[in-house]
Amino acid sequence: MNLAAEAVKIWAFAARGGVMNRRNVFAVFEMLFWPLVGLFSVGLLTRFLELGTETVSFVLIGAVAMNTVQIAQLDVSYALLYDVWAKSLKHGFIAPIRLSHVILGSGLVGLCRGLAVFLIMVALSIRTFGMDLGRPGWSGLAVFFLGLFLVAVIEGILVLALVLLFGHRAEITAWAISYLVLLLSGLYYPVTLLPESLQAVARLIPLTYFMEYFRAFYGFPLSAADPLTLGFLLSLAYLSAGYGLISLSLHRARQRGTLLKLSE
Amino acid sequence: MNETAIQAQGLWKTFQSGWWRRRHQPVLRDLQLAIPSGTIFGILGPNGAGKTTLISILATLLLPDAGTVYVLGLDVRRQAGRIRKRINLASGAAKFVWSLTVEENLRFYGRLYGLGGRPLAARVEEMVSLFDLQEYRRSPFETLSSGLKQRLALAKALISRPELLFLDEPTNGLDPLAAQHTREEILRLNRQTGVTIILTTHNLREAEQLCQAVGFLGEGRIQAQGSIRTLQQQLGLGDRLCLEFTGTMPPLDYQQLPGVLRCRRNESHLDLILDHSASRLPQLIRQINAAGGTISAIRVQEVDLEVLYREFSR
Repeated sequence: MNLAAEAVKIWAFAARGGVMNRRNVFAVFEMLFWPLVGLFSVGLLTRFLELGTETVSFVLIGAVAMNTVQIAQLDVSYALLYDVWAKSLKHGFIAPIRLSHVILGSGLVGLCRGLAVFLIMVALSIRTFGMDLGRPGWSGLAVFFLGLFLVAVIEGILVLALVLLFGHRAEITAWAISYLVLLLSGLYYPVTLLPESLQAVARLIPLTYFMEYFRAFYGFPLSAADPLTLGFLLSLAYLSAGYGLISLSLHRARQRGTLLKLSE
Repeated sequence: MNETAIQAQGLWKTFQSGWWRRRHQPVLRDLQLAIPSGTIFGILGPNGAGKTTLISILATLLLPDAGTVYVLGLDVRRQAGRIRKRINLASGAAKFVWSLTVEENLRFYGRLYGLGGRPLAARVEEMVSLFDLQEYRRSPFETLSSGLKQRLALAKALISRPELLFLDEPTNGLDPLAAQHTREEILRLNRQTGVTIILTTHNLREAEQLCQAVGFLGEGRIQAQGSIRTLQQQLGLGDRLCLEFTGTMPPLDYQQLPGVLRCRRNESHLDLILDHSASRLPQLIRQINAAGGTISAIRVQEVDLEVLYREFSR
């Protein structure tokens, strides 16, 4: 295997995603407008309800997680959605690339944009709403971000698989999937408030554990002894399963002619 | 290089649609095809004949249901990755990501073939000048005219120096001048680089100008294969030329005139089937005039692909 050529193929998707984000006004909205609206509306609500510092942090962690995961996941999903919208999908898949090139390249863009949003949100949470970052420290913050990023990549892979399977009908999942996952993993509330059946589902979502891990720095109880290990193990399992699923979806798309239907 | 670029045997493809009630639409049925390397081969057929399906299977974008297909000596099922390194595709009405410029699109597709750094920059430069795109290198794809988009599509298809190039209706939607320019480019490419080109078209004249051989696709099979001229002559099909005369028709042996495949006549009306009306007509008129005939009306009807297709389907 020629490592330089492999790196170039990954870079193809990263560079294209970067250019597209730079040119697209909507990308600025995605990175700043919606996250800030989300953070300020939730932050001001906590003031109105006169919540304590710990509870405010609990809620803000949800807001930070939501926007970070959403942005990073969208970048992974855009890797194929750009081609679906342009009707140029077949030109990518006639080239000697693997899905790992697509995911790693678009993941790089997601990593950069996700990190930018994460840092902006954290900075604003500290400055505007008095969130105490001294408790988790930089290492806690880094681990939390890594967890969020892995969840975003898993969700992005799922979106890509659905787009390859169902074409345009699955596009909406790119915007819906993060909210659904966050709803189930305790966005602004502990998962114990969910109905029991949904609590069982929440236990299968790595994001639940990553948020629990970070919220534990503010004195909130853990549901598992080692949430980080569980979160990362689940993430690895879903990443492997996701890669299998998207490979099957591509095979199915080649059988059913979906690549052609999504091209000119 | 292999002597056979494409070898397909017993190729079947059926599309299925619908969730509840499955609908089956057979497109290719027991198709056999062999294409030698280094040629320009045309796959002809009316709309819906399965040309794009066939080319997509050969280009590894679509999996066949049954049959064996070898592209450049490699199996499309088991060795698709190796095939993809050596092929590329351009289609008519090309579409690429709208806001990327000509250069950015070329760079993106070049990178997908592992080209990076200076070799990529040099190759992009080469393609930009080969297809006269210098002036538009920083123009976003969405702002290009149809002709420029088509030139970009060809540049993209050649960026990887393919041994086998698929062109799916390459002049579709182009004005006559741009279409002619594209045809000349295709011929030049084949002559200069020896690349095997497989193109689909429903334009018989285009196939005649470009292809050393063609295959007529109908009812899911290749109905006939060979040069267009040979196939036309086999069937006695060609352009129809109707001549009206003022006065008596000159007493020539019309059946023996160059290019005449069939001849029907009455007192003042001559109906000829010619192999190629555009090239034969001037000489024909000169001969009729020299024999003392006065033509009052000429009507030319070029051979219709549908007619050829119907003949081959019989």
